[in-house]
Amino acid sequence: MTAVTRPTGVSRRSFLSVASLGALTLFGAGALTGCGTKTEYAASNADSALLPKYTPFKGLPSDLPGTAEGIPAGFYKYPKPFKSVEKAPLNGTIITAITNIFGPPPNARDKNTAWQAVEKRLGGKVDISAVSSDDYATKFNTMVAGGDLPDMMLNDGAAIPNIVEFLEAKCADLTPHLGGDKISDYPNLAAIPEIFWKDTVQAGKLYSLPIPRNLTGGSGFYNATFLEKVGVKNTAEIKDKDDFYNVLKELTNPSANQWALGSTKFGLTMLHHIFRTPNVWRESGGKMTRSFETEEYLAVIEYAAKLYKDGLYVPGSEGWTKSQMVNAFIGGKVAMIYDGLPAFTGPTGYARSLPGANKDYKAAPFIPFGHDGGKAQTWLDNINVATVMLKKNDDAKLKEVLGLANFLASPFGSEEYLLLNYGVEGQDYTMNADGNPIASENALLNTTVPWKYLAAPQQVVFDPTSKTTVDLLHDAYSKLIPLGVTNPCETLFSPKDATEGNKLGQPVSDAATAAIAGRGTIDQLKTAIADWKKNGGDVIRSEYEAAFAA
Amino acid sequence: MTRLSSTAVAPRLSIRDRIRRGNERPVWMEKPKPTTQVVKAVALIVICFLAIYPLFAVLATSLSSQAEIAANNGLVVFPKAPTLDAYRTIFSGGVVTDALVRSLLITVIGTTLSIAVTVAMAYGLTRRDLVGGKFFLMLALFTMLFSPGIIPSFLMVKEMGLMNSYAALVLPTLMSAFNLVVVRSFFMNMPQELFEAAKIDGAGDFRILIQMVLPLSKGVIAVVGLFYGVGYWNAFFNAMLYMDSDKWPLSMILRQYVLLGQPMGDAVAEIAVPSQAIQMAVVVVSLIPVVIVFPFLQKFFTKGVLTGAIKG
Repeated sequence: MTAVTRPTGVSRRSFLSVASLGALTLFGAGALTGCGTKTEYAASNADSALLPKYTPFKGLPSDLPGTAEGIPAGFYKYPKPFKSVEKAPLNGTIITAITNIFGPPPNARDKNTAWQAVEKRLGGKVDISAVSSDDYATKFNTMVAGGDLPDMMLNDGAAIPNIVEFLEAKCADLTPHLGGDKISDYPNLAAIPEIFWKDTVQAGKLYSLPIPRNLTGGSGFYNATFLEKVGVKNTAEIKDKDDFYNVLKELTNPSANQWALGSTKFGLTMLHHIFRTPNVWRESGGKMTRSFETEEYLAVIEYAAKLYKDGLYVPGSEGWTKSQMVNAFIGGKVAMIYDGLPAFTGPTGYARSLPGANKDYKAAPFIPFGHDGGKAQTWLDNINVATVMLKKNDDAKLKEVLGLANFLASPFGSEEYLLLNYGVEGQDYTMNADGNPIASENALLNTTVPWKYLAAPQQVVFDPTSKTTVDLLHDAYSKLIPLGVTNPCETLFSPKDATEGNKLGQPVSDAATAAIAGRGTIDQLKTAIADWKKNGGDVIRSEYEAAFAA
Repeated sequence: MTRLSSTAVAPRLSIRDRIRRGNERPVWMEKPKPTTQVVKAVALIVICFLAIYPLFAVLATSLSSQAEIAANNGLVVFPKAPTLDAYRTIFSGGVVTDALVRSLLITVIGTTLSIAVTVAMAYGLTRRDLVGGKFFLMLALFTMLFSPGIIPSFLMVKEMGLMNSYAALVLPTLMSAFNLVVVRSFFMNMPQELFEAAKIDGAGDFRILIQMVLPLSKGVIAVVGLFYGVGYWNAFFNAMLYMDSDKWPLSMILRQYVLLGQPMGDAVAEIAVPSQAIQMAVVVVSLIPVVIVFPFLQKFFTKGVLTGAIKG
């Protein structure tokens, strides 16, 4: 949801969403309107909804504290497991679901002891249709057009352009079940803080369940070994943009095949944070300004163009695939990249892969500084990875589905969390002497059933293999989240933006890329921005402003 | 004119005589000059290198450690410390091996059925006495120009109760109109006298097809079979639409691995990219069956293409 928004640009998913709109309009509209009075597209403000009352867990001691603002708790070891769900939520029911899967599919249910154990605890079956995020829009919209809706449906923020109409026609209003104190029937869902629920509100109603992330995707990563060599222990120590330029210059040595920067699409996020570019939109007195209309955005492009011209980027790196970027970073070709903070931990995360490639290398999250010596401004762009909509069902079935979601949202530290994430003890993992679950060799494909993309608890920072990794990541969140700004339009709805936003923004993105790479000029970028306003940008703005005022 | 001209030329010599004379040998029988031979050899070596290098690099990368891959910018040609870790990873748990077996079965059964249906229909459409033959031919050709969209196909599969069934991966693509035209053209160019003689001897259409037409059509059937086989082997889209992940063929598994290394969208990454060695290992596993089968079909393939080229 929040994660898919950025100042400009069209991702493949966004492209598919535009393409799929045609299919949905042609084949799905009839089905949608057939369910009741057709709802006109309308701008919508989420804040009027009755959000679920937050009831945090008590008695779960962490090694590094979390905060009410969303800084996650950190754990060096897994707490003593406790049972968070006493009663099986399903009565032999089969629940159907469609969601994302990242990576290879899990072992089939009949060969998967972890899957079987989860369903035993659930008291029923969950038939999950899971595809990669690249295929999701195609599959989801085909299913919608075919009138074949499952009980639980991932809303990745890109697959359904006319989201309000779809929600009202096909999805259950969860406000009567979860709003306010009603959520107390589902204590694991109630332990998800309010900030994550704001994304789930559309047209004044609670329409979906959040899948929380740690609020910010961060500003990127750097090779701490390289920076230490040029006298920088922490990027937050860098004084301003001129000091940063000097550091980048020292880090670059093309004859030794080393560059300071090199990332897909120039990795501009860290520069946006340094120059305090708004998170997609800026709101001031009810007036909205798109990020690329601001001076900060233009300053970033000019600065990046200077870095590119002076040879501080790996030539051509803006077109890298992610694998190419990862290889360049791990191999020591680039000192800094932009990738999301979730890529720091885990078996193939940077915290382990850099020292794995070269024992002297250390990876660290980039902590931004202000370009003018002031504070940086990060983006709260990873609040929820997506939300999950529930199909309209009778109350009894809905309660079962919500019970299932409550089970899947079992918090870190619970037996259920262990089962969902690590599988069956003795088969998929063993507890080591420190009380940490250590996955067995064959566990991976038993535990990749995408439960966590149907419902999930608030995340924590945990890495049983490295205390340093936990410290570094927790420290990064502690510094980045307080600097974070939200996208003021995140929970608002603009019909024009939903249907044409990406198409309208693409020329601006192209012009920015051209300006950085020296194929275009800042004046051409300004012209593209003026065209955006004229061709529909101002309509998008007025729709968001109206929704904000509502 | 022809007669006058022919009387003007020297008496015809055999090729052997002309070769012996040296200066009148046909151009394709002349002994090439050393420089030409060198140029040809170099060209062939370059072409072979261009074909083999990517495959070799994929294989070598699949045998390398992540550190070595990173040090070589993502593509290793000669791994310093070859390791089978990537293969151990993908074969543990059985997801890739199960998918490999599924893909093989889908390909073998699908190709067999497709050839049977295509040959039967093509033969039927060559019979001049077939009532409505032209209509059915036009019907088949229509699908070359106007294929059904994703949603109508989905609805059809769903209404036929084929969702999450392997039949959904075979039936919608059972017959290709293009292949039908190729086979029908081949049959049309067979001497009609053969069919007439067989009929006079009392053979029915089925017997003519099985005992006469098919033995004469090995080349074109191999070509069409290869088209179908490669199609079934590589197909992932229908599997994505109609199948749950526990029934995905190898192509879909491969896609899942490879997509994680694609260019980033604007979204914050959900997980770290898996080792590139694993991605390459899955590519190698998916290539092996095709590499094994192709040499056996190649002679038919060449023959079939040549036949088609001469006879149109």
